[in-house]
Amino acid sequence: MSDPSDALASAKAAADRIVKLKRLNACLTPIKELRKSLVVQASTAHPSGVLYGMPVAVKDNICTLEFTTSCGSKILEGYRSPYEATAVAKLKAAGALIAGKTNCDEFGMGSSTEHSAYGRSFHPFDKTRVPGGSSGGSAALVAAGAVPAALGSETGGSVRQPASLCGVVGIKPTYGRVSRYGLVAFASSLDQIGPFTKDVRDSATLLEAMSGVDPRDSTSVPLPVPHYAAQLNGNIKGLKLGLPKEYMIGGLDPEVNAAVQAAVEKLQSLGAEVVEISLPHTDYAVATYYIIATAEASANLARFDGIRYGARVEGNDPTALYGNTRGAGFGAEVKRRIILGTYVLSSGYYDAYYLRAQKVRTLIRQDFLKAFEHVDAIVTPTTPTAAFKIGEKSDDPLQMYLSDIFTISCNLAGICGLSLPCGFTANPKLPIGLQLLGKPFGEQTILKLAHAYEQCTGWHKEKPALK
Amino acid sequence: MSVTHDEVRKIAQLAELDVSDDALPLLAEQMSRILEYVAQINAVPASEAVKPFVPGPDAVRFRPDEVKPAPLAFGPAELAPAFRDGFFLVPKLGQFEQEEG
Repeated sequence: MSDPSDALASAKAAADRIVKLKRLNACLTPIKELRKSLVVQASTAHPSGVLYGMPVAVKDNICTLEFTTSCGSKILEGYRSPYEATAVAKLKAAGALIAGKTNCDEFGMGSSTEHSAYGRSFHPFDKTRVPGGSSGGSAALVAAGAVPAALGSETGGSVRQPASLCGVVGIKPTYGRVSRYGLVAFASSLDQIGPFTKDVRDSATLLEAMSGVDPRDSTSVPLPVPHYAAQLNGNIKGLKLGLPKEYMIGGLDPEVNAAVQAAVEKLQSLGAEVVEISLPHTDYAVATYYIIATAEASANLARFDGIRYGARVEGNDPTALYGNTRGAGFGAEVKRRIILGTYVLSSGYYDAYYLRAQKVRTLIRQDFLKAFEHVDAIVTPTTPTAAFKIGEKSDDPLQMYLSDIFTISCNLAGICGLSLPCGFTANPKLPIGLQLLGKPFGEQTILKLAHAYEQCTGWHKEKPALK
Repeated sequence: MSVTHDEVRKIAQLAELDVSDDALPLLAEQMSRILEYVAQINAVPASEAVKPFVPGPDAVRFRPDEVKPAPLAFGPAELAPAFRDGFFLVPKLGQFEQEEG
């Protein structure tokens, strides 16, 4: 696409599709505002960019100049950021059109997109189920075909888990690969922005466009960005894959297990070698994560005080103002995590919880680095089950946390990972995701594996009938 | 690990969060369950030699200490709930007023 009229047509068609899929409650941007902005963007987009005219929806915790950034929270209702995220600026520089903001769990805290102040999002193929989270709106819009691509963010699996549940490709880049500038911080040592697309090649293209060092994010790493898409040639002969025995747990759905085993056999038939490996500290990942992530969240979310920006509920003195504002502005899950994070950082508990968790995190990373001395990538299920029912876990935070059991270690270790479709459950027909984990800055390898697998399977093209 | 209502209330105050009394029983019960679960990390043999892992570049890069215009599309006056003459407005500090009085 290089003609402005094509870009305009693409923008209008995306807006029409988003309107048709309003029932998903996946897009938070009012449609009039979205249409108007897309027309302006189409007329000013960079025609020479590799993403020229591609509508990309953006999770509502990533700052954009075009639309409000509420993070799915009442405390930031109507908030318009005075700057945009570097990842968004890079996509725009490559010609992409920002196609509205997507619904998410408040501040990225959740695994079902049920914890949004703007109502839950729905699974694109089964309205009784969740699309996953926290980037559920982004995954749902891509899976339903409203937009070809969307951005999400990950702290413990919030791109890969909804990608798996909705049947699309989602990538969590290595920590430092993509700038976090303009991503509203949840847990700064874990957060990363990642793309959702229908197929691996589009994900590779988006990732390449977004990646690279950024002077505004000192945790971004000054390494050259490979030409990911150009190297997707289907050749995975000789690549060695590790199958961690700790991921074959009791709670793993038999249909998920069977689909992943079949995918592993397919990768073997394409020339990859598969060996069993051990990641011995896997059992401690969820506990470690919920100490570190909540501790960092309690500090990061202290900025929402009703003074500088966002909503404000008056009080007789500043302390009352803070408490009233935050008490009324944050939802139940965010409050729970802030309180938990404050607790584990408090005097008397810091060593037993936070410091201990930091050390276990090191052990989890060492497990991966040791494994990667022998294998090029690791293959696992993305989630223990397919999409679960609305409300099934929303009253039990611990059960909700445990649904991220296969994705969390990747964030703790700071490595890269992706999820791609590898099958469906029989009844109801719901997508199953295959997770590939790569070495730090080893995105190229997992993209090659995913692409080779995708080329000889049709899962990414299949759409279940709408229920 | 059991957390009392009073402990939850105190932690919420430390976190500057107004939590209603009605919400305390459920919060305390959920917190207790979560803390019991995360306490399992104490079973991991992690010696003093294990250093906490900090992701990102090995050496933090510092920017030159230069005054540059803020890359903002608009300023704090348009963002703040209450802003006047270059200042964020907050309620008076009642305690200090009383002391002065």
